[in-house]
Amino acid sequence: MARGGGNRSRLLLVILLVTSLFLITLDLRGASVTKGSRSLTQSFLAPIQKGVSDIFSPVGRFFSDVKNFPSEKDKVAALESENARLKSQALVNKDVQGQLKQLKGVLDLAGRGGYKVVSARVIGHGSAASFTQTITLDAGSADGITVDQTVISDHGLVGVVKNVESHSAIVLLMSDPAFKVGVRIARNQSIGVLSGTGGNNFTLQLLDPAGDIQKGDVLFTNGSDSNRPYIPGVPVGQVSAVDHTSATLTQTATVKSYSDLGNIGVVAVVVSAPTTAPRTPINPTPVPTVIVYVTPTPTPIISGSPLPTPSPSATSSKKATK
Amino acid sequence: MSPLRIGLNASLLFLVFVVQETLISRIHLPLTGFSFYLAVLLLMVILENRTGAVILGFVGGLILDLSPASDSPFGQWALILTAVSYLIAVNAESIDEIVSRPVGLGIFVALGSSLALFLYLFFNGLFGQATGTIGRDSLVIGGNLLWTMILAPFFMPVLMAIRDATIGSRERI
Repeated sequence: MARGGGNRSRLLLVILLVTSLFLITLDLRGASVTKGSRSLTQSFLAPIQKGVSDIFSPVGRFFSDVKNFPSEKDKVAALESENARLKSQALVNKDVQGQLKQLKGVLDLAGRGGYKVVSARVIGHGSAASFTQTITLDAGSADGITVDQTVISDHGLVGVVKNVESHSAIVLLMSDPAFKVGVRIARNQSIGVLSGTGGNNFTLQLLDPAGDIQKGDVLFTNGSDSNRPYIPGVPVGQVSAVDHTSATLTQTATVKSYSDLGNIGVVAVVVSAPTTAPRTPINPTPVPTVIVYVTPTPTPIISGSPLPTPSPSATSSKKATK
Repeated sequence: MSPLRIGLNASLLFLVFVVQETLISRIHLPLTGFSFYLAVLLLMVILENRTGAVILGFVGGLILDLSPASDSPFGQWALILTAVSYLIAVNAESIDEIVSRPVGLGIFVALGSSLALFLYLFFNGLFGQATGTIGRDSLVIGGNLLWTMILAPFFMPVLMAIRDATIGSRERI
């Protein structure tokens, strides 16, 4: 190993340290050169990440599969029995298909008034060295994605778009320590702030000192101003433990996310929120009350005959009159 | 260190950076936190003299600063890795006996990598960036230490072979 140096290396060290500090200062002052270099890198890496994702995604899942092998084995057995039950049920439920058709129509109707989303595939994860929890998507500004849009999975909230290039986007996951989102407890409508901790659990802090949290409480996003960065009404997670210490002014709890952030393959970016937010109560439209006045007509009494009973045709004609 | 070797080393580091960002980060290792890039960089640093180590640390830090997922200010990794590389180069001279053995070298690289991660967190705190919980950060640093020690012996011979191929006869002396 070649050794040597001395004063020259010390001088070089000082010069390079000062250069680094100069670069940091430039970045903190918002110089576009430093931000541009990261955007350029993202544009360069995105196609490679996409290719690698196609080829090596089974490798990436290998270790987590090995880790979860005992639980996966039980899960497979449970799924097999469930599959058998569902097969038998499918035969019985053929008549439900008609109802399903109607339901689909209803859901389509709901979809028209709901979120407009762009689905995207996860092609990369943030490096462990950066201590940030991010994912890279294969869709970008060309698909209508912009910064500060909500990202959801089939189970609920995933994160928020942090950086966008033409064909890729970086999403800050809700597990990142810098992540914070306003949430609402479904049970009592108390609002609070959910923070990422870097792991699978999240910390919920209520804003109302009088509010209470219970284990099992379901949380939804509260929504942001102009729906950016968070749209309202997205399922976030469930309270797994409540902190009963009196160290804080308001109650805190640990929350488990609905989304499995470690194994996300496909997500949806909400590019347009509904015009009427779910948090806004919808007032029912008053229905006018119909008042019907009936004037009794005198009936001739015939001795020896019973009282006339109205025939079905007569009843229906009366209803039609009303 | 000649400009040609700086260029060659920078190209190699950039290649490793691309592998780290596209492939290694996709692998969910238990305990998490393996940085292949840091391990390779610090291994290359150990094999250099002080001047070469400082230059490599700075160049390597700049490349790591390019990471799109990074939230830290541009230049933070350059600052940390320049300082760490200098520390490693100075100390590697005094423990030449240990570092000349593969196991010792692996442990030294792992410790240097963990020191770099710790300093990164420290500067994150100084610059007002969000840092995770102490437990989680310790897990990441500990995981990195463990995985680097386990995996370093596998890629060390390859790196040394590349270095031998790129180093000039003048620098070899």
